[in-house]
Amino acid sequence: MTTAATSGASTDILSIANMPVLWVLAVAVFGAIILQSVIYMRAARKAGPAADISQTELKQSFRAGAVAAIGPSLAVVLVSIALLTLFGTPAVLVRIGLVGSAATESASASLAATTMGATLGGPGYNQSVFAVAFMAMSMSGAMWMISTLILTPILRRGDSKLRKVNPALMAIVPAAALIGAFASLGIAELGKTPVHIITAIVSALAMGICLALAKKFAIAWLREWGLGISILVGLFVAFVAHTSGLAA
Amino acid sequence: MTALATDTSRAAALLQFDRTTSRWGQITMASALIFSLVAPLYLVLFGDLGITSGQVWTAFFAVAAAFFVLWFVEPITYYPVLGPAAMYQAFMIGNIANKLLPSALVAQATIGAKAGTKRGEFAALMAICGAAMVHVFSMLLFVGVLGTWLVSVIPADVVDVARLYIFPSIIGAVLVQLIVTMKQPRVTVIAVVVAAVVLFVLVPAVPALAKPATGIVVLLTAALAWFLRPHKNAPAATTLVN
Repeated sequence: MTTAATSGASTDILSIANMPVLWVLAVAVFGAIILQSVIYMRAARKAGPAADISQTELKQSFRAGAVAAIGPSLAVVLVSIALLTLFGTPAVLVRIGLVGSAATESASASLAATTMGATLGGPGYNQSVFAVAFMAMSMSGAMWMISTLILTPILRRGDSKLRKVNPALMAIVPAAALIGAFASLGIAELGKTPVHIITAIVSALAMGICLALAKKFAIAWLREWGLGISILVGLFVAFVAHTSGLAA
Repeated sequence: MTALATDTSRAAALLQFDRTTSRWGQITMASALIFSLVAPLYLVLFGDLGITSGQVWTAFFAVAAAFFVLWFVEPITYYPVLGPAAMYQAFMIGNIANKLLPSALVAQATIGAKAGTKRGEFAALMAICGAAMVHVFSMLLFVGVLGTWLVSVIPADVVDVARLYIFPSIIGAVLVQLIVTMKQPRVTVIAVVVAAVVLFVLVPAVPALAKPATGIVVLLTAALAWFLRPHKNAPAATTLVN
């Protein structure tokens, strides 16, 4: 490691993002999920008769769920690989592969990088910016889990008050918050270099085409793979535009 | 089924199931929560990167301004579909809408179980376990092993360009996907107009607002969408991102 690494100004993200400690912790999160599934399956097998579900049906359900998840999982794999250069493997495995999604986590990272005066993946995206972005997205992901841990027992007690807040409020405010956040991040790209503008627009068009084709010809997998395809198309166009000197 | 013919033993078995899944669901989720926080915390504290706690909190508040509504709304929205046990699975495994829910529905259809019944709940739980196993192993193998290797063999200049433009190539697609699945044209127009005004008029005029810009857009969009809502036929519940 060079001496520059000590200040956090080094842009060699992967040297800190792929540290062994982070790998161990990422694998530990996977371990927690595997342990949970094993315990749940044993509990379900034991209580199956009381729930009017046979051992064969439990097995069938497991298999059906596993098979149905193959396509979507591989679609997430593709998106994750595209993000490896940005966050390194352990962070991608935990944040994009599990807990969150490519959309929320890269949005969080971008917001965090902005507060450090950098852009995600840009020239100022150094080790310190990466660490702060990783911390901020993990904290936000933790809030989702904390509210699940707090709200589930409350909802379980049959407390329907929470769900009856006001259907119109529950329908409009989350949708507005979500579209507002992503519209803001998307439109912010239009204020950057011509290559950023072209990339964002091409990726948006690619997704539009995928969704239109998926709807027209009833191709469900195209909806799942839309994000991965759009990213690849966007990156390809970005590479061509960048190397042809549009970035300057 | 004869052994459990009486209603009391049946209820006792189900109660035992609820207790086991709640307790272990909470324990496993809490440990995943801790592991996932320790990783970045290690970098911040021991990475010798000169990071201050002020920087971390500023970044967190910027993210929170954009997503805090969803922290609470997503669990409440998914609860009726998932049931208590699967909640602890879903918010740990992620990608709920695009992977876990479809898996659960396919499994229920396979064995002919209705959502909302105990059979349906068990089928969904087993399906999510199946989906989790497929997902865990495909992530570890294809991203953990193959992906890491792939990045190491791709030419450095390609990696640099990918890193530079990965965000615009995600955000464009995500925005379109969100707008199409939400089907809320009024909210979409409000969001786009608010974002354009904040980013290209307000921020250039008041540069100090650059950092909380997205939070401002979110709050203004939510407020305007609420006050400008149509007063007939409330729209259906929203689709979410995770």
